[in-house]
Amino acid sequence: MRLPIPKLLFLAGLRHLLRQRSQALLALTGVTLGVAVVLAIDLANQSAREAFADSAAALRGTATHRLVGATGTLPQQLYVDLFRQPGHPPMAPVISARVVLDGIPGRPQLVGLDLFAERGFRTTLERAVDTGLSASDWLTTPGAVVVSTGAAARLGVDVGGTLTLRRRGTAQTLQVAALYPDHRLATRDLLIVDIATAQAITGLDGRLSHIDLILDDAARHWFDARLPPGVSLVDARREIDGITGMSAAFELNLTAMSLLALLVGMFLIFNAMSFTVVQRRNVLGRLRALGVTASQLQVQVLTEALVLALLGTLLGALLGLWLGQGLTAIVASTISSLYYEVTVDGVHIAAGSLVKAAVLGTGGTLLAVLAPARRAAATPPLTTLSRSALEASAARLVGSTAAFGALLATGGLLLALRVPGGVVLGFAGLFALLLGAAMATPQALQGVRRLLHLLPLPRTARMAVRDTGRHLSRLATASAALMVALAASLGVAVMIDSMRSSVDAWLGDLLAADLYVAARDDQDHAPLPPALTRLAAELPQTAAISRYRSVHVAMGGRPLRVVAAELAAPSRRGFRLLDDDGDSWARFDDGGVLVSEPLAHRTGVGTGGTLTLPTPDGPQAFRVAAVFQDYASEHGRVFMPLADYRRLWHDPDVDTLALFARAGDVAALHAAAVAQLSEVDDLIITAAAEIRTESLRIFDRTFRITEVLRYLLLLVAVIGILSALMAIQLDRRREYAVLRALGMTRAQISRLILAQSGLLGLVAGLAAVPTGLLAAWVLTDVIQLRAFGWSMRFVASPGPLLLTVMLGVLAALAAGLYPAWRSAREDPAPQLREEA
Amino acid sequence: MRKTIVVVLMMWLAACSGPDRETPVDDAIALRSRMATAPDPGFERATTPRPFTFPRDHGPHPTFATEWWYLTGNLVADDGHRFGYQLTLFRIGLKPGQSVDDSAWRTHQVYMGHLAVSDIDAGRQHSAERLSRAAVGLAGAQAQPLRVWLGAWSISGGTETFPLQVEAGHDDIGIRLRIGRGDRPLVLQGDHGLSRKGDAAGNASYYYSLTRLPSDGRIQIGGNTYRVAGQSWLDREWSTSALAPDQAGWDWFALQLDDGRDLMFYRMRGRDGLAQPFSSGTLVAADGHATPLSLADVDARPLRYWQAHDGVRYPVEWQVKVAAQGLDLRVSAAFDAQEMRHTVRYWEGAVTVTGSQRGVGYLELAGYAD
Repeated sequence: MRLPIPKLLFLAGLRHLLRQRSQALLALTGVTLGVAVVLAIDLANQSAREAFADSAAALRGTATHRLVGATGTLPQQLYVDLFRQPGHPPMAPVISARVVLDGIPGRPQLVGLDLFAERGFRTTLERAVDTGLSASDWLTTPGAVVVSTGAAARLGVDVGGTLTLRRRGTAQTLQVAALYPDHRLATRDLLIVDIATAQAITGLDGRLSHIDLILDDAARHWFDARLPPGVSLVDARREIDGITGMSAAFELNLTAMSLLALLVGMFLIFNAMSFTVVQRRNVLGRLRALGVTASQLQVQVLTEALVLALLGTLLGALLGLWLGQGLTAIVASTISSLYYEVTVDGVHIAAGSLVKAAVLGTGGTLLAVLAPARRAAATPPLTTLSRSALEASAARLVGSTAAFGALLATGGLLLALRVPGGVVLGFAGLFALLLGAAMATPQALQGVRRLLHLLPLPRTARMAVRDTGRHLSRLATASAALMVALAASLGVAVMIDSMRSSVDAWLGDLLAADLYVAARDDQDHAPLPPALTRLAAELPQTAAISRYRSVHVAMGGRPLRVVAAELAAPSRRGFRLLDDDGDSWARFDDGGVLVSEPLAHRTGVGTGGTLTLPTPDGPQAFRVAAVFQDYASEHGRVFMPLADYRRLWHDPDVDTLALFARAGDVAALHAAAVAQLSEVDDLIITAAAEIRTESLRIFDRTFRITEVLRYLLLLVAVIGILSALMAIQLDRRREYAVLRALGMTRAQISRLILAQSGLLGLVAGLAAVPTGLLAAWVLTDVIQLRAFGWSMRFVASPGPLLLTVMLGVLAALAAGLYPAWRSAREDPAPQLREEA
Repeated sequence: MRKTIVVVLMMWLAACSGPDRETPVDDAIALRSRMATAPDPGFERATTPRPFTFPRDHGPHPTFATEWWYLTGNLVADDGHRFGYQLTLFRIGLKPGQSVDDSAWRTHQVYMGHLAVSDIDAGRQHSAERLSRAAVGLAGAQAQPLRVWLGAWSISGGTETFPLQVEAGHDDIGIRLRIGRGDRPLVLQGDHGLSRKGDAAGNASYYYSLTRLPSDGRIQIGGNTYRVAGQSWLDREWSTSALAPDQAGWDWFALQLDDGRDLMFYRMRGRDGLAQPFSSGTLVAADGHATPLSLADVDARPLRYWQAHDGVRYPVEWQVKVAAQGLDLRVSAAFDAQEMRHTVRYWEGAVTVTGSQRGVGYLELAGYAD
């Protein structure tokens, strides 16, 4: 029977895959892991984003814009005046606040709405009416609350049940009037009440939190001449996402991890697949010798790769979905602890994530085998059969690849550091840096090998070193893949370390006072009783006192915190002024403002410049006295003298006091404050050290997910390398058989294999150190700065560096164990027979 | 006699349970049949004739559950362009008595407004609805000087009440009218202003009308503004009553005849489609003399139906005979598509009168969309 060539080739390929089951399996593992890790991290990120988007959407409804006030609230008369003007666009007044409920963790959001204004905005109340809410009772009964079915489950209440709300020591009862069907995470945190109830509870007499609007372009101009000073029209999406959205830092972390996972996944796949071609040079060569054309061979190799790719992608997708679920749970717990209570009902499986994984799995695989397949197909039959020729060409390629890689890495670094641009450009540079460094890794392997050659090493080790050079084609990609995983992981670790140490030092400076006093209230920055300041200052244990008033304003559609302060001298020393010329504080006292670094970075307004802020009397220009380093908010903060604030905002209140202890006796001050000040109001009196500890705890929680992802990435990389190394060593069984026949002992063979693996890991680990540090530099100095305007001290402690090298060696050694054991035990005779 | 609209709205406000409903509007209509319950006993009821005192009674009566200021009219522009308009402000008491004083937003009073402009020459009706609580100044009413408002929609008068300034607009339609008192006396409907709607005591309203009020001003539709003039009709009614279970709706006529006579007649319609004994009306002579009409005096029968997109049919052409007064009128919609589809669904539109007398007027058809 004569078979057509393609069919023959197909059978040969199939036979190869079946005969070399373990090799095929290992290649499959590489593809599967690569796809899985990318998909899992992507899904976790997506789920986190969805959770935030949900809550923002639940709050925002269909509103496109918002009216907000300069002090965080609006006079309700503004709404009434607008409502009574002909042709006003759809408007809905809202009073909202975070509240504390007895026996319920967290601070749910109380949202007061006007049933009649809600048409077109939110369907919440309409749905409640559908499920039995009597609108008449709703409007006339104080304390009536509507919650989602999801919230009811979380709060443990049903219709008719009550919730006790605490506010400054007094309790108020809310009664559940109806449930509306909604299990979205976001709604679990919402308590919907009539706007009258919300006003009574929050004490916002005559005021609203904001007014929601639905505007098209024409309607936007309707407000142009109608808004009083101090009221701004802001984009609802930006406004609300800015408040309820996950912190951009958190988001950026997830994005960075996604990208790094993509890179590692690509290398795993490349490594696994290119090896399957290299390994089969003999079969391919024979086929060429038998008259199979180059293009037929190429098609054949690609077809086989496609089969593996599809299978690997499928398995990878399944594994990725499973892993993603676990990761999503971790992400959700991070969000819960940082922002508000969420639980994950299911993983949000975004089509985009699946497509990305599929493209990576199949495309990446085909790309990985394309070059080797061409090479195998293009070389004359006899040369193809010769391994030494192959290695010789691989060795020649090492130099040029490394040169190209070095160029790419340098270009990437320059792109990130020197070219001004956004975060995306920074990431592009980072990507190029890692890719370039990976390409240069084989050269590093050669270099280390030559260096080791000069050392007086034991015979087996010397043999391992020399032998490595002869198997470059197979070992180079494996070491590069390991290097990328190690470098990415190191880069993120160093970035987090740098951030943490910067934040810690900043907190230490900023929290210069010994004791901080604020009202215990469900609202942040609730005013303190006026008498309190005098009482605190008159305590014999108080050496100095600083007073603060903090309000939220909108600038350019983004939330901004204005902190009015009367600062004692030691409080001033806590500010880290950038480019301080010594006159900064004089300018501040003269009506200037201090602008936080993120705000200065975003607006481009620096020392000596002018910043315009919305005040209740309309926009007001302020001279910038200095820019200070600040990690408190990515949106920005502005400090101004308390006296100026009082004059412009007509607000005499103070919400925080900072006390300095006389003679450093913090304990005495604390005792006196608790004893005497607590009589005046329900207060939170906290030592600076406690605040610092708590802040760092929050920081660590934010980055816990990054840590988990980092280790996952590393683990997957190690498993990938393990399979790659195993495949390589198994492929060399015949060589080991020859060595055995020539008189090497089992132990010597084992040592040879382990030494070789160890060398590989060492090179990957060593190369990962400079690459990881450069990556960390890009992440801290470029990406964080561009994303948030945070400049940070670059801190690289030796711990993570050492760990990286050790991890590289250990991973490689672990990968060598099984092949070492197996090759040493194998009877050389069958392998030798086959060779003959 | 637009009680059902308010009753339906109240039912929405008081909606209690029931699956497979789609929107509050549907709820309201579906619930109508089941909700013929007794009103809250805390509200005052119209049981006996009372003395009317003006201008006080032009203002609100919050001790009653429902009340409305109902303006309709046929107006003609300088260029002959014909229009009809309707502006109704409903007051709905959610509960009797004063509300809890915990916030300025808390109130027992809710206002609903319906605005419609019928462009008769173009054959198009534009309409809008507003709702608001009567708190913090969003909506409300007062007697002296008269002022009833819901956002920018308002009916207001000076110390003499008349002339009234009427303003309302929505999107690209708007009316701005000055409504004079005219010389026609105020008509107390029913028994000296007590208008019975059912057997049960208290199922009645206090009801007076001003049937011919000279009006002029501006009507805006899209980019066009028309100077208009004509006659308006004001109905004022307050009550605490509910429809009887066997009542489906009514057909209400307000006709201004060219010979100077004005005819008001409401035909209470049972679930069987037949007119019920509580149907009644008044014929006002040119000199202001009012003659009460009972069901026996008036023979009103539909001649033609108009069908809305979804199949609901409204009788938009009628034959109305008042034999004792020598009237045999054909009442026809100025154009058919004058349906109001808001929280409550009904047909209300300008009509032309031919037959033994010519004239114009307004027709309201309620309870057909159930």
